[in-house]
Amino acid sequence: MAPGKKALGRIEGRNKGGRLHGGSGWPLLASPMILMVGLVFALPIGSLILLSFRSMTGPATVGDEITIENYRLFVTDPFYFKIILNTFWLGGLVTLCCVIIGYPVSYFLARTRSRWRGMLLFLIIAPLLVSAVVRNIGWFPILGNEGLVNWLLLKSGVISAPLPLISNFTGVVIGLVHALLPFMILTLTTVIQRIEPELEEAAANLGAGPLQRFKQVLLPLSLPGIVGGSLLVFTMAIAAYTTPVIMGGNRILVMATFIGQQFRTVLDYPTGATSAAILMLLGGMLSLLALRFGAQRTEMAR
Amino acid sequence: MKSAISTVLLTAVFVFLLAPIIVVVVSSFNAVGVLSFPPRSFTTRWYSEIDPTYTQALLVSLKVAAITVSIAVVVGVPGALALARGSFPGRSLLNAACLSPLMVPALVVGVAAFQFSLVVWDHFGVVLGGTMAGLVLGHLTFAIPFVVRAVLAAHTHFDYSIEEAAQSLGATPGQTFFHVTLPMLRPGIASGAIFAFLISLDEVPIALFMGSGDNTTLPVKIFTAMEINFGGDILAVASVIVVVSVILMFMLDRVVGLERLFATRH
Repeated sequence: MAPGKKALGRIEGRNKGGRLHGGSGWPLLASPMILMVGLVFALPIGSLILLSFRSMTGPATVGDEITIENYRLFVTDPFYFKIILNTFWLGGLVTLCCVIIGYPVSYFLARTRSRWRGMLLFLIIAPLLVSAVVRNIGWFPILGNEGLVNWLLLKSGVISAPLPLISNFTGVVIGLVHALLPFMILTLTTVIQRIEPELEEAAANLGAGPLQRFKQVLLPLSLPGIVGGSLLVFTMAIAAYTTPVIMGGNRILVMATFIGQQFRTVLDYPTGATSAAILMLLGGMLSLLALRFGAQRTEMAR
Repeated sequence: MKSAISTVLLTAVFVFLLAPIIVVVVSSFNAVGVLSFPPRSFTTRWYSEIDPTYTQALLVSLKVAAITVSIAVVVGVPGALALARGSFPGRSLLNAACLSPLMVPALVVGVAAFQFSLVVWDHFGVVLGGTMAGLVLGHLTFAIPFVVRAVLAAHTHFDYSIEEAAQSLGATPGQTFFHVTLPMLRPGIASGAIFAFLISLDEVPIALFMGSGDNTTLPVKIFTAMEINFGGDILAVASVIVVVSVILMFMLDRVVGLERLFATRH
């Protein structure tokens, strides 16, 4: 979205001098798009919000009167509160893992002059082009009870019984970190690249150790990138549906899986709609916030 | 010493990123207990056991992606041009509105489309759920913004003097548009369209709620099959997808550049 905004900014500048492209036909040219976005997006979302203010009268049937009962339950009922808490816990944990794993990799990519850099970047982005469902499938022979990790740990005698690594919360975290780590690495790499290496060298010359250089030079300067990347990853983590269902073995209850359940099996559409509206609100606010911090991310291309 | 540690750490991260993709292919040849690793015996049996309905689902996926992207380009390119060049009241609002679907989780779009299809059925008797049309309408929610955003980004570097030159040489507005403007925007249109196409092929939550029966896309077919019975045939299908994706990946990297493609994403 940022590139779009920037695009408009530049063109506005351009149009001040340019008269050639004035004219009043533009809204007309945009009208098919406006109609289409209205039909496929605005109407359904509006109708979903309306549904969130109704109540269930039976499986897959909905009453006519308007009520805020669904929202009231969400704020007061501990059951729903637990779901929201789970969602934040999942998003937070995934984000933290992505920062910790991603930062050293990004630092390396930002500083290296190796001719393999392009290849490494390719390997980081490449998994994103393989279907999420397929990537999740690949985790089962790795993390399952008879999978690779447990085989290695059992063989080496570290554990005596297989660890439960998939079809539970751990599995969801692993799956989401795998899916979102590339976004964190790309964001951080861009930001670290902008920090001049001379600053670190100067700190070293003045006698700062590696830890001190990191804490007093690198970390403060790369903080905007960490915040921007974290907001991006957190937003995508709490919005994800496919990975939490597959990697959680269909039993992890976060907002996304709860919404899916309400619409697919419980058939309580109004409750599903309410949680969807809340998730949408959360995601929207976080995306806007991420945009503020992520303006530089779009430069990544160059 | 220091570089040895960083090499080990980096290798570990790359192993983590690539492991599930490689394991899918290896495990699809595992004869006994497909979910145990490392495999102990070799078979190609799972490939011959792939249900023909997966081929059918692939065709549905390709059809949905192709129709969706075509519509998105036809309505999105003129729309993006209007947003980039026109100066009319509410333009920046319109810009935000057209890109806003990308800020809404796909799952929310999916359930919104699903319940809206019920409303449409109730009031107009038109069936959208479980049809090709329903799938396409659902996927247009992200395809249009992807195309619009890519064209807007490409338009930032637009050199108006070439258009002016064409017109001063006597080209009609139509000729200018088709022979100058459109070719200049082609890379932007292409990267938006390719991206939308790939997401459409891969997307689960929207297609899960809008498709059913004969109109089920490939990733949804695998997703629901896993919920019921996770066996060797699923690994074989997934392995075929990996191989095709890898080929596609190298082609895309050659033609567009992966970094550029993903830079247009967020």
